[in-house]
Amino acid sequence: MPMRRLIAVLLATIAVACGSGTSEWFPATDLSAMTWSEISGRARNTTVHYAMWTGDEARNRFYQGPAADTLRQDLAITLTIVPLADTSDLVNKLVTEKAAGLLRGSVDLVWINGANFRIAKRAGILWGPFVQALPNFQHFDPVATRFDFGTTTDGLEAPYEQAQFVFAYDSARIAAPPASFAELLDWIREHPGRFTYPAIPDFTGSSFTRHFLLHSGKAPPSAFTERFDPDLYARASKPVIELLHAMKPSLWRKGETFPATLAEMDRLFVNGEIDFTMNYSPTFASDKIARGEFPATVRTFVPKDGTISDYSFLAIPFNAPNPAGALAVINTFMSPSHAIARARAMGGLFPLRAAHLSTSERDDVAALPRGAATLPLTELAAHRIQDAHAEYVDRFEKDWRTGVLQR
Amino acid sequence: MDAIRVAAPRMMAMVVLASCALVPIGVALIGSVASRWFWPALLPAEWTGRAWNYVASGSGGIGSALVTSSALALVVAALAVALAVPAARALALHTFRGKRVVLFALLLPMLAPPLAAAMGLHSVFLQAGLADSFLGVVLVHLIPAVPYATLVLTGTFSGFDPDWEAQARTLGARPWSVWTRITLPAIAPGLALAGILAFVVSWSQYVLTLLIGGGSVLTLPLLLVAFQRGGDEAVAAALSIVFVVPVILLFALTAPLFEDV
Repeated sequence: MPMRRLIAVLLATIAVACGSGTSEWFPATDLSAMTWSEISGRARNTTVHYAMWTGDEARNRFYQGPAADTLRQDLAITLTIVPLADTSDLVNKLVTEKAAGLLRGSVDLVWINGANFRIAKRAGILWGPFVQALPNFQHFDPVATRFDFGTTTDGLEAPYEQAQFVFAYDSARIAAPPASFAELLDWIREHPGRFTYPAIPDFTGSSFTRHFLLHSGKAPPSAFTERFDPDLYARASKPVIELLHAMKPSLWRKGETFPATLAEMDRLFVNGEIDFTMNYSPTFASDKIARGEFPATVRTFVPKDGTISDYSFLAIPFNAPNPAGALAVINTFMSPSHAIARARAMGGLFPLRAAHLSTSERDDVAALPRGAATLPLTELAAHRIQDAHAEYVDRFEKDWRTGVLQR
Repeated sequence: MDAIRVAAPRMMAMVVLASCALVPIGVALIGSVASRWFWPALLPAEWTGRAWNYVASGSGGIGSALVTSSALALVVAALAVALAVPAARALALHTFRGKRVVLFALLLPMLAPPLAAAMGLHSVFLQAGLADSFLGVVLVHLIPAVPYATLVLTGTFSGFDPDWEAQARTLGARPWSVWTRITLPAIAPGLALAGILAFVVSWSQYVLTLLIGGGSVLTLPLLLVAFQRGGDEAVAAALSIVFVVPVILLFALTAPLFEDV
């Protein structure tokens, strides 16, 4: 008898530990019949498993600390971080789970972007559409957030952070950085061996090369966003592939090899082997100076033709055990107060539109600290272009491999 | 004179071996407290406690990952040794039909990447409800751990004479006393070595843990790889040290066991 009681206690403990709260899976089609207060009511006293890339100390500290505390206090939600070294690991896992018919997964919410989103959307492993149900979506530009690296989001992922491509250089080594992409090309030719970029499939390297496609002059950059035009692609891509191929002898190690990752590229930059590095986070150089990874003389710049700007998104896996909790968390992460706290804690752009902000929120945004290496928000905003449609991205990456890397 | 002549090259070899092991750890130690360490400076311009502060702060979940990793590696080591003992004994002391095939099958995970097996196992584990669970990760770690344990114990058993057991039985010992008083003392160093190897194999798994554990079973390598890929070298260096110190301690504590081996 005591044994049986022990087992009962054990089972009860496990049940409490596993399924605290009452929320459960429901199809996204139910959303149209639900009010927001119904959804947030369901989300109360639940646990949300948030899968995110955990390679950044400031980000980990913020989401494990202040962000989780706010969710606990305001919404009675427990946030549990599922660490990812690479988001594609989770995408692969979800694809396998879908094939195996696993309807109760382990992740409620994932930070996803670009190629991973494209694969996830194609594989049908996302829950939604849900974005229209979120009250805080009003703070985001609905046109600019329609695309994620050229893939239409279709309400399957919600924007929450904004990124913009920037270059970094060391002002102790270079007095004035190139003002345009054309000047950058001249600089590379005049300084053989001092420039390189991460090899595709690294997404930063991929966007670096794509800037030359978008600025090819055959059409304005915006013409590449809406839909894929095979004629335009053929006209614009051929000379750009030739240009990138001709650039190879002037690159680091004569272009015979490329850094595989951005981390490797930053190391070359810091060690003085190359004179530029690049990143999707406009505050990355200031962050790295603060951490002692970059010399204090490093600065960022954007060529005046404009650089690609994109959003970071949150999505819900098809088998999320707690979609209501995920929705409540996403809505919080899209709120002005969260965006201000996040920008204070870990830098980055402030992605919300000013229209619906209160006066005090606007003051807070204006007072956000900006590192010495970060460009003013107005300068970034003035030189911002949207990424090309996904089909251009795919084809151009393929053509880069055959026309530049392997030739 | 002869003793010195023999001792000198031996000493040299020891120094080379020791520095191979210690230099990378020393570099990681410096890296974990380095700030503004730029080429060509030999030493960092500034020192910082940032990485260790993060490790100690608990916001990275490093403490719980350490507990999970240790528990996992201990369970895997115990199970791997338990499975390896009968297998190694049969392989070392008996000849039987198909022995080479059994040996090959057993060692296959050492030759082929265990990831190949794990990819296929993932969907089986999903259906069995073993994915995303501690037990599932234990099972998948056994794939690479068992061959190592078996290989070590096969060596141990080949130096073991089963006639000792027969002798004890003749003198009236029961099976349990034969095991505890004859077999176990004879193979103890081999058992310990096999256990340590299995522990280290489990301790250092990344891909298998990620695939079957799905981020729910959170071990140290999962955290470490995120920082290495993220390019935060100070935190990656500090985590590397957190990762390697338990293994060094394990070897140091068990070293006396191998003095006669």
